[in-house]
Amino acid sequence: MSDRRRLNGPAGTTSPPVFALSKSSTKSSQKRTRKPNELRKIFLQTGVVPSATGSAYLELESPPESKPGLLNTSSTLKLSCSVHGPKPLPRTASFSPNLQLSASVKFAPFATCVRQGYIRDSTERDIGMHLETALKGVVIPDRWPKSAIEIAVTVLEGEDDQVDGDRIGGVGLFNLLAGCINVSMAALADARVDCLDLLAAGVGAVVPGPGKPFRVLDPASIEHDLILASCLVGYLPSRDEIVEIWSNGSVSNLGRDEDIGFDGLVDSAVAAARGSQTVIKEVLIESLTRTEVGAEKLPNDGMNDVDMNT
Amino acid sequence: MSNRRVKSLAIDEDDYDDFEDYDDDDDEDLSPEDKEQLRQGTIKVREALGSAFPSTDKEIHESLWHYYYDVGKTVTYLKSTASNTEAFIHLLTQSGQHKSPGTPAKTKKEEPTSKLSTSYCPTALPRTYQTDRGGHDGLQATISHKNADGDQEFTSSTIPSIQFSAAEFFKDCPWLRIPENRKAEILIEPLYPRLGLLGGASTGGKMSKLAALAAKRRQKEGERSESTATSSAESQDGYTARLNKLRISVDNRAKPVAGREADTPRKTGVGVRPDSEVTEQLNEQHRSEPSSDVGTVVSSDLSISVEPCIRGRPSPFASIMTSHDADIRLSASPDLLALGEIAKSFDFTEPSPDDVVRGAQNPKAATPAKAKAKEPAKAKSTGLAQGVQQLSVQETPKVKSKNIDVLAEYKKVKRKKAANFVVIGHVDAGKSTLMGRLLFDLKAVDERTMDKYRKEAERIGKGSFAFAWVLDQGTEERERGVTIDIATNKFETDKTNFTILDAPGHRDFVPNMIAGASQADFAVLVIDASTGNFESGLKGQTKEHALLVRSIGVQRIIVAVNKMDAVDWSQGRFEEISQQMSAFLTSAGFQSKNVTFVPCSGLEGGNILEKPSNPKASWYAGPTLVEELDQSEPSTYALDKPLRMTINDVFRGSMQNPLSVSGRIEAGNVQVGEHVVVMPSGERAQIRSLEVDDEPQDWAVAGQNVVINLTDIDPIHLKTGDVLCSGVSPILNVREFKAKVLAFDHITPMNIEVHKGRLHVPGRIGQLIGLLDKSTGTILKKKPKIVQPGSVVRVVVQLDQPVPLEAPSRVILRANGETVAAGLLE
Repeated sequence: MSDRRRLNGPAGTTSPPVFALSKSSTKSSQKRTRKPNELRKIFLQTGVVPSATGSAYLELESPPESKPGLLNTSSTLKLSCSVHGPKPLPRTASFSPNLQLSASVKFAPFATCVRQGYIRDSTERDIGMHLETALKGVVIPDRWPKSAIEIAVTVLEGEDDQVDGDRIGGVGLFNLLAGCINVSMAALADARVDCLDLLAAGVGAVVPGPGKPFRVLDPASIEHDLILASCLVGYLPSRDEIVEIWSNGSVSNLGRDEDIGFDGLVDSAVAAARGSQTVIKEVLIESLTRTEVGAEKLPNDGMNDVDMNT
Repeated sequence: MSNRRVKSLAIDEDDYDDFEDYDDDDDEDLSPEDKEQLRQGTIKVREALGSAFPSTDKEIHESLWHYYYDVGKTVTYLKSTASNTEAFIHLLTQSGQHKSPGTPAKTKKEEPTSKLSTSYCPTALPRTYQTDRGGHDGLQATISHKNADGDQEFTSSTIPSIQFSAAEFFKDCPWLRIPENRKAEILIEPLYPRLGLLGGASTGGKMSKLAALAAKRRQKEGERSESTATSSAESQDGYTARLNKLRISVDNRAKPVAGREADTPRKTGVGVRPDSEVTEQLNEQHRSEPSSDVGTVVSSDLSISVEPCIRGRPSPFASIMTSHDADIRLSASPDLLALGEIAKSFDFTEPSPDDVVRGAQNPKAATPAKAKAKEPAKAKSTGLAQGVQQLSVQETPKVKSKNIDVLAEYKKVKRKKAANFVVIGHVDAGKSTLMGRLLFDLKAVDERTMDKYRKEAERIGKGSFAFAWVLDQGTEERERGVTIDIATNKFETDKTNFTILDAPGHRDFVPNMIAGASQADFAVLVIDASTGNFESGLKGQTKEHALLVRSIGVQRIIVAVNKMDAVDWSQGRFEEISQQMSAFLTSAGFQSKNVTFVPCSGLEGGNILEKPSNPKASWYAGPTLVEELDQSEPSTYALDKPLRMTINDVFRGSMQNPLSVSGRIEAGNVQVGEHVVVMPSGERAQIRSLEVDDEPQDWAVAGQNVVINLTDIDPIHLKTGDVLCSGVSPILNVREFKAKVLAFDHITPMNIEVHKGRLHVPGRIGQLIGLLDKSTGTILKKKPKIVQPGSVVRVVVQLDQPVPLEAPSRVILRANGETVAAGLLE
């Protein structure tokens, strides 16, 4: 009878429930079945957001069997990107002779195993900054003075790094950023923004092999127990330029093998980027032909639609 | 590497030359008859064998030569040869045999049993191309083995490779004494192009299974085999293409150097290596057991090149989200179209179904009105502005008008009389003190407040100002001891509700006094009776104020002769003042019956509410000041005229009423919910609520002091001096007007300031039309250059900005801080 104005907690102590892991979920680490040089299959589609100037959707192939366990870790990636602009700068902004590019990455609350709020966290800001750097290297900004373009990537499903589904980091982050760059490039192309080249990003890594460490392309973090070094590049294939590079781990002390140095690591990432670029190219050509077909069909429909009694 | 290849070619050519010497000899030996026989025999053999038989002219020539042109034997020989060698040469295309010039030429020269030579070739004759083939086959097997982990080009492993045996290979060589030339060949030849082996269908002829398969594959992935073979041999193309395929995928990065490397046969997984290593590498591969070491090397190199087909299928989620199936979309669209054709588009000019029903229900009234209402488009086309205005009026009925008949309501209500009076007079005549005393005596100010004022006033050494502080609320006013702006206060007697407008007496604040006086029904002119002060006042603001209030339209004036205590309530002094003032006021235009004189003392409180207690004032038997005030006749107002109200103040009333204006209604009436127009801005506003004398009311009429809370208007359109008027007949903004004015000073065409209530705008007298007679109004002199003070003149006044003014209103013209004229707008 002490305090009846508030909702008091129980008098005694309670302990939160602890759930034991089931057998299936504890050892759900899938081994890599792909070849070292085989990328995960990429699905890409442009023009998914009608209100945006340009948009694209990218997802990585899901693993064929996904056992529904308590802790369902996935190595897939689902990204949607929309490009708004180029639009005139707000009147309050100072004059700029170049296109002001801004890119942002946002995780959907359900993107990772651990739900998160709508608050922008450091991971998003970090990836957004890298993405912006990469994209600034490919667009030709002086084509649009006094304008701004906004690129917004939404992560619908992100790669989970560990089995316990912690926040994204490490190779998962690299794969995510690579996906972001690829999908943004497709969306930029869909928005008809002038670019130097078709930017593509890829991830390469060095993993400990049976004998000595070897290189793999597009490493998925749950497929490897240990990753010695990883590297992401944003790469312009026809210019042979790197616009963004981010590497992790150390390759210098891997042993006597001179084949895998830092250059080798970057080479593998570049190769992965080349592979991704083939998909982007293919998809863009496909969408172009589709829109052309659509454009041919449109006039007839338009004639029917406009015919209104006024 | 390329130079090495050239070298090897050169060696080959040397070899060919050796054999071709023979050939040349043979050809020379052949007589024309032989040649003719050979030709005819060939034709016959071809007929016998059939066109499909894989044999060349040369073979046939050889056989014919051996069998001395016996067609039958040749045919059987060829057939048997074909069946015998099938195990070996079904891998070899016809072109391959074509490209092996050495063997047939040689067999031709040797014994007829050389029909087995082909089969023995690998062992007995380790000639260039056979060695080459063996090496390649071995290599092929190794590679295919290595790629066996899932490579789609796995088919190459189906090639039945020849089991390579070093013992056989070196059978005719002495141990460790291999001829130099052969050593060289072994070292070099593995790099030699395979020349159309492995089903390369670069030349005509029947395709083997492998060739067909390869061709199909090549066709499929044709665009990716970007080999730029520029060498003379056309089979080089096919070869390089296949080599590229063997390399699991095309390394695009190799493109810059492709011109060199495509010509160069490069081993898969070996890359560019020193020459000495090639043999070792080959030997390793011959053993066809890929050590883990080699495997790692290969795989790490392979890891640079990417699997080509990485385009994935959409997940169910993606396929829904992107509607990837174009078929669905296409099939859907005709349906929509069909639907559109079925559904008849509604013709909006016709009455809606609802209208039809309602029209049927009340056939008389509905249709025309409805049609009008339903056709905003038409209304717009006829009178756009009108239509828009109507819409705006109809669309915002936020505050509902009660549609009160204000005049009828006003007549019903029996009310106390209400009167506004302005207190005027020279500075320090004691106006504020008199009024403070009046309010105090009437209990409008309680004792406690008064005590507080007294204490505070004494503290700053101005004890006599205590009563003035009742009205002078501003700190500056209190410090300086002068009234600056109009102060209003209310009190009531038994008969009347009074509103005091305490005007400033200082000449600097005459505009404020005009503003106050314009709201007054009558005036109380306070005069300082003390010696010298009355005289100075008569020259100063006593005179000016009297003239001003008369010009504004005030007819009744009460002259309160103040500070009688200072002159010991001297009757002589009072009468002196009365005489002088009545003379002046009559000249100013006041009728003598409207002028009354009351002696009083503000500071002592004599003869204000009660008769003076001072025995020296016993001579006075007239009414007290309050009694005199009560005598005031209520003035009549034009209640049925359109609304006019000059805004006295704009302020934020409360949270509910963010925009309020106060003032006195000059004409007409107003009620809650009514739409009014604010001039000169011309903005419309709606009346949200009304307060008359601090009490909420639904309506108000002319003569009342009201606070009006407005909505639907931006505060920037409102300022003091603006006129609130009815929306039906708004007051007009004018830039120029004619006025009949009384000159207080010399008037010439000059810059002036026009005052009307709170409104004051700069302008100038543009023209003096004529001098008028004061009593009759006839024109005495047209277009005078200058007008003397005291005369009446008709002038044209031009204003700098349009202001709301209309005909029967009184204006005051001032220049340089002095009133120069006052008059009536015409």
